[in-house]
Amino acid sequence: MRAALPALGLRSKLVLIALVLLVMPWAGYAYVRAMEQLLRENQEQQLAATARTVAVALQDRPRLLTPPAGTATEGGPTATTVHDEAKTLLAGLARPGLRIWVIDSKLKLVAAAGSLDAPAPQGAPPVFGPIERAVHFALRPLFERMFRTPAAPGEEVIPDDVIFGGRELERALDGAPTTRRRPAPGGRGTILSASHPVWSGEAVIGAVVLEEDTDAIVSLRNRAFEQLVAVTLVAFSAAALVLLAFASRLSWRLRRLRDEAENAIDSGGRVRALLAGGHARDEIGDLSRSFSTALARLADHNAYLEALAARLAHELRTPIAVVRSSLDNLRLQGGTPGGATYLGRADDGLQRLEKILTRMSEASRLEQLVREGEREPFDARAVIESCAAGYSSAYAPRRFKLTLPDAAVPLNGSADLFAQMLDKLVANAVDFATGNDPVELTLEREPGAAVLRVSNHGLLLPAGMKERLFDSLVSVRRHAPGDEPHLGLGLYIVRLIAEFHGGRTNAMDRADGSGVAFEVRLPLV
Amino acid sequence: MPLRIAIVEDEPAIRANYTDAFRTQGYEVAAFAGRAEALAAFRVRLPDLAVLDIGLGDDPDGGFALCRELRASSQTLPIIFLTARDSDFDTVAGLRMGADDYVTKSVSLPHLLARVSALFRRAEVARVPPQSEDVLVRESLSIDLKRFTVAWRGRSVELTLTEFWMVHALAKFPGHVKNREQLMGEAHVVVDDSTITSHIKRIRRKFAAVDPGFDRIDTVYGMGYRWKADG
Repeated sequence: MRAALPALGLRSKLVLIALVLLVMPWAGYAYVRAMEQLLRENQEQQLAATARTVAVALQDRPRLLTPPAGTATEGGPTATTVHDEAKTLLAGLARPGLRIWVIDSKLKLVAAAGSLDAPAPQGAPPVFGPIERAVHFALRPLFERMFRTPAAPGEEVIPDDVIFGGRELERALDGAPTTRRRPAPGGRGTILSASHPVWSGEAVIGAVVLEEDTDAIVSLRNRAFEQLVAVTLVAFSAAALVLLAFASRLSWRLRRLRDEAENAIDSGGRVRALLAGGHARDEIGDLSRSFSTALARLADHNAYLEALAARLAHELRTPIAVVRSSLDNLRLQGGTPGGATYLGRADDGLQRLEKILTRMSEASRLEQLVREGEREPFDARAVIESCAAGYSSAYAPRRFKLTLPDAAVPLNGSADLFAQMLDKLVANAVDFATGNDPVELTLEREPGAAVLRVSNHGLLLPAGMKERLFDSLVSVRRHAPGDEPHLGLGLYIVRLIAEFHGGRTNAMDRADGSGVAFEVRLPLV
Repeated sequence: MPLRIAIVEDEPAIRANYTDAFRTQGYEVAAFAGRAEALAAFRVRLPDLAVLDIGLGDDPDGGFALCRELRASSQTLPIIFLTARDSDFDTVAGLRMGADDYVTKSVSLPHLLARVSALFRRAEVARVPPQSEDVLVRESLSIDLKRFTVAWRGRSVELTLTEFWMVHALAKFPGHVKNREQLMGEAHVVVDDSTITSHIKRIRRKFAAVDPGFDRIDTVYGMGYRWKADG
């Protein structure tokens, strides 16, 4: 009887515990967000500083912003030269991804340089391997929803409202440096802009505006996330695998120990040693060893019980011989007239004692016989048929109902022992039978096995005794005065003989609850 | 001159009781508690019959040794093992030592006395030619009731007293089933069923030794045994 696996095994529990590892990406997420914030602020400050530098540079060249009055065609620097000079100045500062433009106090674009095109990624991005790549592709839709990814480099447009209606521009022309974020064209990514006024004396003569996209930071952040997820995934899978393997091994060992412990005591009460984890130096090995110790004690106790009957019989025989020979002498000498009554009673008592002794030694004699084990083929059906004829007269008026198969039932063993086993089963059934219903003797042929069943109407088996009924010195009879002695050896003998034939015994209540049935299952030749 | 019985038994109460019983029957009795003591006495004079316990004090197989020595001195001296041991192994060992009978201590005194007198008669009549009226003949089987001997198809079968009585009980009425209790009664023993089974087995084996085709003792399962008449 193998018990079902527990609903929540060790394995599932350990894997559940491994889920704790999933906290790791949350910690990482918070960290990456903090880093991103830092980078953004850094970028902002840098941008503002650059704007100031440009503004200061322009302050030294006020003519770039305030073209001389009069027409551009007059002498002095032409508008074109002014424009070129401003452009040259700005071009030195601009870089891919950074756009600079200068506006005069009349909101006229003086010069612009650089573009918002995303810079090409610098160097190969660190790649974790196939896992990270897989994560990258798996997570891309998610990232795209969570954070807006930088737009593909689009057409360079400076929207009019940015130039002419931008708040930072107004504020810069009012004399206050400003930074601002605005969504990139197309609604993807963010553009950071910083503006700074250009002073000439007390008046603002223009403004510098620097624009930079935040693509670099965003992709850095995304890559960090991807790596984080990949690392977590790898760590989690590895940890879960290791835990799973460990738990599997643990639960396998425990299950083996359980199965062995369950089967260590067979239905006949014989004890086998445990093998599982016998040498392991951990708690399971310890458990197995203490199981083994307990089982060994149980086996010793069983052996002691089995030998007890034989030893007792032997030890009692001498004092009984003293009593018997004394009584016999008394009788031989004639004795006193009234003595005969007492002699008779003493004889009765002695006879009962001897019957007990005989029964006790019968079991041990049988154990010996079984060990010697001479086997020859015989027909169980013929033996039962012959026995049943005898039982009808021996146990009259108790009736017997015999059910036999049509063909012979060949067994290998001893017909004498088989008959003795049947005797014990029938004697037992007759003793417990009540009413007028017959004791039923059934022999059935099943594939590979013969099943002998002796069943009677009467009391049911006491709960919890089914397994022990076939043990030595176990009896569930209620004793009546003057009754024959019952030592609980009859069914033990049945078991010994059944085992001699390679079979097993089984006691059960009848299906209809009207009595009990004892079953012996024996392998066919 | 009365017949002399030697009893070797370490338990004083049993020794005394048996001594008294045999004396009452008119035998002369020499009782010994140990092997050395008995051997010394046997060297001076052999008894007419010996009753031996197997375990003698600290000497668990003292009886076996004594039996061997007695048998070496006399081939015909009747020897009975009387013991608390009843395992088949001991029985076989005892009989192999050359004992004529093997009984457990649970035997009653009348049963024991019957055995003793039977063994004496067997020893005595062995010297006299057989008389036909004392012989029970069942076809190929002849049982000499005086000598306690059995012959099958003219060849002698060596049986112990117990076995002899059992064969006699079975062959007296061929075809009749004798149950185990009846056989015990006839053989003056009280033993358990499996001992009867072993006795029958040994009897069959002894007959088979002189006639491999012997199959006259029939087991009637659930009832007992019967002697099958000639087919």
